[in-house]
Amino acid sequence: MTELMQYTITGLSLGMVYSLIALGFVLIWKSSGVANLAIGQLVLFSSWFTYGMLVQAGLPPWLGIPLVIIFALMLGWSVERLALRPLIGQPILSLIAVTLGLAYFIEGLVGIIWPKSLASLPPLFPQEPLRIGSAVIRQEFLWAAVISIVLFVLLSIFFKYHRMGIAMRATADDQKAVQACGIPVTRIFSQSWMFACVLAAVGGIRISSIGNISKAPLVEMGLKAFSVVILGGLDSFLGAIIAGPIIGLAETIGGGYLSKVAWEGVREVIPFLIIIIVMIFKPYGLFGEKRIERV
Amino acid sequence: MPKCTPLATKMLKLNNIEVTYLNVIRVLHGVSINVPEGTIVALLGANGAGKSTTLKAISGLLRLEEGEVTDGSIEWNGERIDKKSAEEIGKLGIVQALEGRHVFQHLTTEENLLVGAFNRHNRQEVRHDLEMVYTYFPRLKDLRHNIAGYLSGGEQQMLVIGRAMMATPKLMMLDEPSLGLAPLLVEEIYEIIKRFNTEQKTSVLLVEQNVRVALSIAHYGYVMENGRIVLDGTADFLKNNEDIKEFYMGLSALGSRKSYREVKHYKRRKRWL
Repeated sequence: MTELMQYTITGLSLGMVYSLIALGFVLIWKSSGVANLAIGQLVLFSSWFTYGMLVQAGLPPWLGIPLVIIFALMLGWSVERLALRPLIGQPILSLIAVTLGLAYFIEGLVGIIWPKSLASLPPLFPQEPLRIGSAVIRQEFLWAAVISIVLFVLLSIFFKYHRMGIAMRATADDQKAVQACGIPVTRIFSQSWMFACVLAAVGGIRISSIGNISKAPLVEMGLKAFSVVILGGLDSFLGAIIAGPIIGLAETIGGGYLSKVAWEGVREVIPFLIIIIVMIFKPYGLFGEKRIERV
Repeated sequence: MPKCTPLATKMLKLNNIEVTYLNVIRVLHGVSINVPEGTIVALLGANGAGKSTTLKAISGLLRLEEGEVTDGSIEWNGERIDKKSAEEIGKLGIVQALEGRHVFQHLTTEENLLVGAFNRHNRQEVRHDLEMVYTYFPRLKDLRHNIAGYLSGGEQQMLVIGRAMMATPKLMMLDEPSLGLAPLLVEEIYEIIKRFNTEQKTSVLLVEQNVRVALSIAHYGYVMENGRIVLDGTADFLKNNEDIKEFYMGLSALGSRKSYREVKHYKRRKRWL
């Protein structure tokens, strides 16, 4: 029982981070139809940048974290401006290929700037473990979950009531009609990239403040976010929010119990197993919109 | 042939424009159109005549489809706009409602209308205009929280026109507002367009295949065929033109419905050139 409780809380907390990162993916996909294959690398880059700010520059978190957010905004803006905008109007496959190139570019760049393979951030959340019933959980997990929930709420309000948020959803529906309304679509694209990068940065900070900063697990975050997106449906914000905790729980609960009977790394496989099963039975994901695509 | 009298001051002026798609396919061969301030001008013609292309040339949406104005000029109050982007043209007060009910399907009715007001920053005014649109289309008010994708065809068309109204345009361009609607609904929508034009003094450039209903509200009309303007004149002049009556309204000289059984197929359609 105690074990289950622990697995549940870590799973939910982890899953919400997946959701955050996945939301960034869905945002870009919805507004511009581009599958951003570089999300894992964006997480990686912003994690290392956080390390640069908090450890190398020695800034306190209240100053360092906002700087990371500003960095993420600039990163998103420049990626859209330099890598994607010149290709507007080209086949969508070239745009996706560009994001793949971007992924390797960022990975290389990070390798050059931070040649270390492992680093850790100073703790950002209180460290004392929390007792809920008989279960002992690290407080950080709760804080991380709270931050994710706050961000979900802010994002929903933005998409529901803000002029720009409504326009972003409109762009997802009908790009041409948006342009006929005199709305600059390019601005919408660049904003969605900026948002996605901020979400990736928040996810990265959360993951690397609890674990370590190293390449493989952070890049893998991108893959996990993919599985969330595919489970929830590529074009559904709600799907991303719900599918994240599902994947997170499957990973911790399933992985936790299975690794006792099966081999050690089973936990890493479970999310991808889920994708395969979902793709067989629900090719559009749990909340995805059914669409007839002509290929 | 009675010469048409020039109307009020010209707001939008197309001088002999030529439009080419993909650098090779020329679809407009020298089209000249004037839209004076505060009037409704109808652009009539069959499928493939170039009506929608003309609208897209004005609104700048042509570039999305690899089209380009290769000759001639488009002037808006004396300023050339044919090289401007869709966004800049939108900000000048020219708004186009696309053909075929392009509503934002996953947004509610009210959100759709708000997207139309994207470039306006005064919330008070936007609220006020929302109410204005609701007075023109009371049905939209009842449906304000419904998802637009589930509205009926007529309601979606109203929504598209309402969305264009929300931009408080100086010129509203409507592409086939009657497409696929029941005759009664078409008349209702046209009544509203007419009312909007007289009350708000907004010019309207109307593309329509339904010649009869278009001429019932327009002040002036142009007939297009194969990328050229073949006939133009005031609505009354066009309504009484024999060719228009015969080939676009299906009436013979006597004003009765004509049987096409005796007519050779190549003569069923007017060839102007």
